[in-house]
Amino acid sequence: MEIRKGKYRLDNRNLHFDMVDDLNFNNSGGCFYFRGGNGFGKTSFLEKIIIPALRADNRPYLYIGQDIRTQLYTLRALLSIQGFKVSDTDEVELLRLWIHQGQSASVLILDEFDKYFPDYGFIFDWSADFIRTYIIVTHLGVNRRESVADNYRIYNVRFELIDIDGHLKNIRVRSE
Amino acid sequence: MAIYDLDGLLDKYSDEFLILEFNHLFISSSIREEVWLLQRRNDSPLIDKIVQAARDFSIQEVSDERDFETYSGGQKAILACLLTLALIDDRKIHGLNILLNNVLDSVSEENRSKLVQKFEEIRLTHNIRLFAEKDGHIQEILIGNGNPQR
Repeated sequence: MEIRKGKYRLDNRNLHFDMVDDLNFNNSGGCFYFRGGNGFGKTSFLEKIIIPALRADNRPYLYIGQDIRTQLYTLRALLSIQGFKVSDTDEVELLRLWIHQGQSASVLILDEFDKYFPDYGFIFDWSADFIRTYIIVTHLGVNRRESVADNYRIYNVRFELIDIDGHLKNIRVRSE
Repeated sequence: MAIYDLDGLLDKYSDEFLILEFNHLFISSSIREEVWLLQRRNDSPLIDKIVQAARDFSIQEVSDERDFETYSGGQKAILACLLTLALIDDRKIHGLNILLNNVLDSVSEENRSKLVQKFEEIRLTHNIRLFAEKDGHIQEILIGNGNPQR
């Protein structure tokens, strides 16, 4: 799957993106770090452009969003329905069970997961056998190279504010 | 302590700290409502102060009526901090210990420095101390040069 360079408009979120590079998710072994200022559309880009493209391409994915607390409630309910006894299971074990259940996925998306778990190498340990592409939104300055298997290539995707027209933000998205 | 275990956080620290927690930043849906609940009146000067401060953080789309859910996560964290700072100043609160839980980690490096600078300004005049959780322990964020240091 590829997100081609060009203009993308999310009018209901007052965001216009100018993608100056293609984002190619077809090559196995990519780790994409999304970086940029607050309100520059990183999460919107994920939810309104990348995830719909993954769905259209029938590529199963796992997504851990910013509001992890709500998601953990849902995971606990989901895993209970599937027969797991998780009433006293801690959140790390819940995540492990969920990721283990999601082995049909080839893409794992983490939105600011590192603010809850600064050392989140365990996510790679649990998923490297089946995840081919990681997409990670972060405000931390350093890539977690030590956590990523050697065969994952790092891409930094920058969201940069070009200008503000009223409430509309024009954002440049470039990969490096 | 799980970092997002709200009950654990409150049990352990609520007697000692004012807690700003990323997943529970507000109790209402807009700045106007939040100020109304906190001040028990429609405090326009305080709202204007928060809105103006938000624009300094490039939140141009801010308004008193806008639903918090339409802001990004980082923008919400900034707004919660600005609301807290404005209230401390308005009510002339002194000697408060503030615990930021997953708040500074939610904002960009540039905005983090600006926010910490804002806290530094009020620390000097209102004797405010700033703390955050790290590795399961509460640590004071030592500020003074605009950059958070734990």
